[in-house]
Amino acid sequence: MAGIEGSPGSSMHGVTGREPVHAFSVASPIVPTDTTAKFDLPVDSEHKAKKFKLFSFANPHMRTFHLSWISFFTCFVSTFAAAPLVPIIRDNLNLTKSDIGNAGVASVSGSIFSRLVMGAVCDLLGPRYGCAFLVMLSAPTVFCMSLVSSAGGYVAVRFMIGFSLATFVSCQYWMSTMFNSKIIGTVNGTAAGWGNMGGGATQLIMPVLYDIIKKTGSTPFTAWRIAFFIPGWLHIIMGILVMTLGQDLPDGNRSALQKKGNVAKDQFGKVLWYAVTNYRTWIFALLYGYSMGVELSTDNVIAEYFYDRFDLKLHLAGIIAATFGMANLLARPFGGFASDYSARYFGMRGRLWTLWILQTLGGVFCLLLGRADSLPLAVAFMIIFSIGAQAACGATFGVIPFVSRRSLGIISGLAGAGGNFGSGLTQLLFFSTSKYTTEEGLEYMGIMIICCTLPVMLVHFPQWGSMFLPPNNKASEEHYYTSEYTEEEVQKGMHHNSLKFAENSRSERGNRIASAPTPPSATPNYV
Amino acid sequence: MATNACLVVSLWISCLLATSHATTFSSLQRTIILTASPQAGQVLKAGEDNITLTWSLNTTFPSGTDSYKDVTVELCYAPISQKDRGWRKTVDELAKDKTCQHNIVKKPYTSSNTTFTWTVRKDVPGATYFVRAYALDSAGREVAFGQTTDAHKTANLFEVEAIIGRHVSLDIASACFSAFSILSLLGFFFMDKRKGKPSK
Repeated sequence: MAGIEGSPGSSMHGVTGREPVHAFSVASPIVPTDTTAKFDLPVDSEHKAKKFKLFSFANPHMRTFHLSWISFFTCFVSTFAAAPLVPIIRDNLNLTKSDIGNAGVASVSGSIFSRLVMGAVCDLLGPRYGCAFLVMLSAPTVFCMSLVSSAGGYVAVRFMIGFSLATFVSCQYWMSTMFNSKIIGTVNGTAAGWGNMGGGATQLIMPVLYDIIKKTGSTPFTAWRIAFFIPGWLHIIMGILVMTLGQDLPDGNRSALQKKGNVAKDQFGKVLWYAVTNYRTWIFALLYGYSMGVELSTDNVIAEYFYDRFDLKLHLAGIIAATFGMANLLARPFGGFASDYSARYFGMRGRLWTLWILQTLGGVFCLLLGRADSLPLAVAFMIIFSIGAQAACGATFGVIPFVSRRSLGIISGLAGAGGNFGSGLTQLLFFSTSKYTTEEGLEYMGIMIICCTLPVMLVHFPQWGSMFLPPNNKASEEHYYTSEYTEEEVQKGMHHNSLKFAENSRSERGNRIASAPTPPSATPNYV
Repeated sequence: MATNACLVVSLWISCLLATSHATTFSSLQRTIILTASPQAGQVLKAGEDNITLTWSLNTTFPSGTDSYKDVTVELCYAPISQKDRGWRKTVDELAKDKTCQHNIVKKPYTSSNTTFTWTVRKDVPGATYFVRAYALDSAGREVAFGQTTDAHKTANLFEVEAIIGRHVSLDIASACFSAFSILSLLGFFFMDKRKGKPSK
């Protein structure tokens, strides 16, 4: 193949095979350190950090990480803040089950579109402004919740608050300007998981706030309205912190971002075409709808479920519901780690099996949760369900970087949209009508998870095989990634990055090749 | 083998006995006459209006009322307010029944006329209601009942208009914080732009 500089494997010069698999840092020979830069962390030539130091707040890299994930966390808190208070709100606004279900669907639908817009905003204004704008402009929508007096108003406000989930995009984009691409996968995965925890934390926070406010003398129907002020204030505080403490790039603020023009290098139409015509994109969009999607749906219904079915007090139902979302702290990174670990021995096949096992496990325990008659069993099944679903989210993004190099951003975005779409769909089907009780809804959701995870068996990479089929020995990684470029583009040499990626991705063959363990560059500038 | 079978059978019988301990609504006799002041279709305001209740024993029923110790009076949802709201569902087994969720009063049982006036609480949701009284024995289990409506729960229903819970002060606070959010965002944005211009 024309264009490969040097013999295959020469780009792995310096790699000893003893680097850690799961990247919290990338060692010097692979990415050279810029020794002239005076940052807290070792940086590369673009001054992006090569190391991920979790408990540091040093400017700018780790500070960006913390500002970013906490903003995303705050938006999750406000999007799902109504869920644990539904037993009170439904009496105040005289809601029917359809109203409650529709509001749940609305809360996750808005961000399907806002995430796409956020990508463009990050390109135009940068992720710092993108994040701050979204967080501070959605603060009024959170305050609006206290004005709601009808079912229609309730659905509308939850829809508007749901737009704020687009902070996911600004979070991932911002981190890709601050962290080297070799460790960006871990960084983004941790941030995404910790942000998602907000859906769990809110189930704990809101009932406690409601109780405290009631104790100061408010009637129940006023107390829940006042409780919504706290997430609203969090939005304002985070927005101000992002504006004052954050910076766009390691070296300072904006305008240089325009010069970089990272996004404009390729043609959007082409990139979209290769994303849309790759069947694996759609399979992963469906799969993510039944890992992330069911996580969001469950965030919306679980507190009310425990309150009604087991006759628990509001704050106790909230505590139990919180453990569901809080499992994200470890479960999502665990899924990514399990994917990487299985790839060490079994390559891409291992990743696909890991994903299938985790997600099906989640489905089975969701089914059992619906069937559980006693409280301890229900809690136990719920916890295993949460670990399965959230680890599957992490494992999904262990495979997606390999689906395409050229269109990775759009594919990640489509998968993310699939997540929200799946959530809206399951809530509409199973939790919006009186046709099914909530426990029946959970059973059917479990069955749907198991069925919709089966398509992962159809994902086949010619060079790595699939869950049941072996690879085609004549296929190569280079061929797979170069097939995303036309002849003229190959002539122009546009495919060089993909070639480099292809070489690195040979580790996905598993133990058959003495592989370079450093994971190839993962998530891109915008998701 | 025979002992195993005996064990299983005795377990099964004790299970049956256990479940038959659960009180069901259909097993209760309507021995109490209960009247409430609201007319059919009347709308009461939560936090303001009163309901006056009167109950007594229906003397046509033979005695067996020695077990009655207390009377508890509850506000219960009419079928129209239970529609599409599974959390207010009527179930025969009283421990699981969610029809009556608002307790009005609990008083010791006397066979003569008892009256009570209740101000509709502020946390009562807006819905259509009737009133039901349960006679409880010394163990707190329901043994008889009386209600202001008929067996189909269609007659003599009244409505409660709940408080909304909104206050002018909350509305103003919402508006102020929202304005603060937008203005500070714009403020920081333009400050940044002005700072950025000379250096870039």
